[in-house]
Amino acid sequence: MIQDVLGASRCPRCRRVVAPPARMCPDHPVAMEPHLVPAVGEVVSFTTLHSPPEGFRSPLHIAIVELEGGARLFCHGEETRGVKIGSRVSVEDVDSVFYFSHMGFADRARLFWRRHGYRGEKVAAIGKSFVKGFWKGRSREKP
Amino acid sequence: MTDVWIAGAGMTRFGKRDESLPDLMAEAASVALADAGIERPDAIVVAAMNPEEFTGEGNYGSLIATHLGFSHVPAIRVETATSSGMAAVYTAYAALAAGFHSVVLVVGGEKMTHLPTPRVSEIIGRSIDPHERTYGSTMPALAGLITRAAMQRRGLGLKEIAQVAVKNHAHGARNPFAHFQTPVTLEAVMESRMVADPLRLFHCCPISDGAAALVLRTERAPVRIAGIGQGMEAIAVRYRSDLTSFRATQVAAEAAYRMAGFGPERVEVAEVHDAFTPFELISLEDTGLVPPSKAGRVTLDGETAIGGRLPVNPSGGLKARGHPLAATGISQIVELTWQLRGVAAGRQVEARVGLAQSIGGIATNNWVTLLERA
Repeated sequence: MIQDVLGASRCPRCRRVVAPPARMCPDHPVAMEPHLVPAVGEVVSFTTLHSPPEGFRSPLHIAIVELEGGARLFCHGEETRGVKIGSRVSVEDVDSVFYFSHMGFADRARLFWRRHGYRGEKVAAIGKSFVKGFWKGRSREKP
Repeated sequence: MTDVWIAGAGMTRFGKRDESLPDLMAEAASVALADAGIERPDAIVVAAMNPEEFTGEGNYGSLIATHLGFSHVPAIRVETATSSGMAAVYTAYAALAAGFHSVVLVVGGEKMTHLPTPRVSEIIGRSIDPHERTYGSTMPALAGLITRAAMQRRGLGLKEIAQVAVKNHAHGARNPFAHFQTPVTLEAVMESRMVADPLRLFHCCPISDGAAALVLRTERAPVRIAGIGQGMEAIAVRYRSDLTSFRATQVAAEAAYRMAGFGPERVEVAEVHDAFTPFELISLEDTGLVPPSKAGRVTLDGETAIGGRLPVNPSGGLKARGHPLAATGISQIVELTWQLRGVAAGRQVEARVGLAQSIGGIATNNWVTLLERA
């Protein structure tokens, strides 16, 4: 199941969003305000650590995920097989540790349906999404 | 502002050393002082990243001053993670330029090889954002994340990042002060053990002991510090909008060029912070020495090798010379001083202007220094 939102914080001056919530904006000496961001985003980068520090299982998968609200998160993952930079993932908060997982078909569909209210828009959005996916797939094949 | 000159330079051989850190620092300092023909400096700046945890000793300014026989000479210790050495050079530069002193000894070093690798990795990892560290992030892990992003965005390939290791090992084989003095093949690099995908063991610098020292003064000497600049970036990697270049290097380079009154076109030799080989390529572009996304190409073409258009890391760099943390930034300037004076036996290049770049932490506190032969 996809968690809907994650706790973050926003700078009242520059609107920058960071997660998890921080006391001060990294760019201004201004206290940040509580904010919520959708728990879905795109993989910015990922790595697999083969000799992780004490207390972590090897291999250790770490990813940076950019959430739709703009904040970037460090996450753990069960695996990175099939993951690419730009892959759509959902993020789950388990005891204050973030985990990313590839979004399955059912997750994507559920999310898609929830976001596109009217039937006409749904059809248009499906078309758009298909075309976008097709072009993204094409552009990634280029070296 | 008063000009600051390099009157003396010295370093120990880097590698696995049995001597204590104070002894290593004393060795480097006495070479630099003898080189400058100076018995006693007006002040001492000591660089050490984390001797408290590596060796259990603290109060390093006083400890080293006394150990050198200068117990009454004013001494301070400077720390900016892995760029501490160059931060110490800056501190000495500022004191001299402000007229507080006429001769300052800068000495930095680290002693790490007596500890098991996971322990060393953990101590160095203290320089990472605490939240990101709870995810098991180590320096190689963060470098792996940066490398993958850079390979996607900049057209960097596995061959390009491996070639940096081949080149720097070839340079190190010509440097008697280097930790690694044996060449490696491209195949050996590309087939070495995976550390943090896509980074392999031979893409990473070793754990080394060693020390380096400089004597800076306001009286004329053969080499001048033409510019020195610092640049900062958020300690959290997740706060950066771009992983494929280091803002901290770009800002430091701009400041150094502004102070020097010239740009990258006058630089003929460079020592850059290749703690992980892709960082050499990123650093060459961040300092403006190579146009954006061309660093891989010029490396494959041999332009950055000794004998090429712009020799980079003729010492072997962090990759082959070794990386005793706080010694590194000073040792880069020691190497350039020798190169500009024409005494870098076995690896001499033709140059009048040199650039040194040092990365602190995961590029959170970076420095660029420009040197010019008078």
